[in-house]
Amino acid sequence: MPGPMEQFDIKVLRPIEANGYDLSFTNSSLWMAIALGVVAVFMFVGTMRPQLVPGRWQAAVEYLYDFVRKMVDETVGPEGKRFAPLIFSVFIFVLACNLLGLIPWVGAFTPTSHIAVTLGLAAIVFGIVCIVGFALHGFKFFKLFWPSGSGVVLGAFVFVIEFLSFLSRPFTLAIRLFANMTAGHVLLKVFGTFVVTLGSFQALPYVFGVLPLAVNVALSALEVLIAVVQAYVFALLASLYLNDAINLH
Amino acid sequence: MPQFDFANVFLPQFAWLLFFFAVLYFGIVMTTLPRLGKTMDKREGRIRSDILAAEAAKAEADRMALDYEAGIARARDDAREALSAAKAKSAQSVEKKLAAANAKTDAAIAAAEADIAKARAAAMTEIEAVAVDAAQAIVTKLTGTSPAATEARAAVKSALAA
Repeated sequence: MPGPMEQFDIKVLRPIEANGYDLSFTNSSLWMAIALGVVAVFMFVGTMRPQLVPGRWQAAVEYLYDFVRKMVDETVGPEGKRFAPLIFSVFIFVLACNLLGLIPWVGAFTPTSHIAVTLGLAAIVFGIVCIVGFALHGFKFFKLFWPSGSGVVLGAFVFVIEFLSFLSRPFTLAIRLFANMTAGHVLLKVFGTFVVTLGSFQALPYVFGVLPLAVNVALSALEVLIAVVQAYVFALLASLYLNDAINLH
Repeated sequence: MPQFDFANVFLPQFAWLLFFFAVLYFGIVMTTLPRLGKTMDKREGRIRSDILAAEAAKAEADRMALDYEAGIARARDDAREALSAAKAKSAQSVEKKLAAANAKTDAAIAAAEADIAKARAAAMTEIEAVAVDAAQAIVTKLTGTSPAATEARAAVKSALAA
């Protein structure tokens, strides 16, 4: 029986190499592509013919967009309006990857359970935050780390701490999502294994098999919740960081 | 954990993520969401203008209700005035008619009284004539001489006047 970590294996589907770099199309890439396809269908169908009185698809897309717009408006303010599509992209990409990875079938894979993907997303967010910060404020962007109304010594001390915490942001952002997704999938897998091993007992297979199955059903519900909540947290933190860059606190 | 096999796992995922995210942002989200956002803004504006229009219409209706009430009050006052005028007029005419009727009856009464007086005078003269005849007859029977008519009349007149 495969171990609980096997579901995270990267399988190369089509080896690609460019300039000696390995850019193979893997199952992770495949599931990102599937997520992209689902999002594309959702978005294109939902906005095909925008109407003042929306239909079901349009209402669904609008609901999500309005949710993100309100979140950005609350955290950043009016200047954040033009970044709503970016935060929306991050949110819906993470959400689609999280949810699609939860569908239990052979070959299912959750790209967001890989730190390479979450770190990549966090790096995109971090890069945009830095670009926006320097573009709007130039070197005044460093004032973000300087505590207002304190002495030079204390200020420099706090500056170092704040700067380090700023640099650690993409890592905490990435690890939070990756750890949540990985832990959930490991747990589901472990209890799934229990269903098989305890269910194949000679005595009382139903009693021992049903118990971990019930746990797995409950865990699946919890994982759906976590998938949505983590996508929300990722988008919320991204907009919070963007707020720092735009408003300098 | 396969996730920490950075040497083999990191670069292809990272590269494909960048590619897919670029496709997502520029190809999918930016081609659809701004249109949708415009529609949502349009709807919001429409709702706001509809609410404003409804408020204006309500103010207009309130104003009309006030006008209506004022009109009703004015009409009521007018009616009351007309009513009291009519009442006064009818009272006047009734008085006039009453006075006319009074005058007529007074005249009738006066005429009747005059008739009565005349009748009484006639009756008095008749009584006088009868009394004169009776006195002449009585005196004739008592004395055997008939008194002169003038003498008898004077005697009767003085007796009646006493």
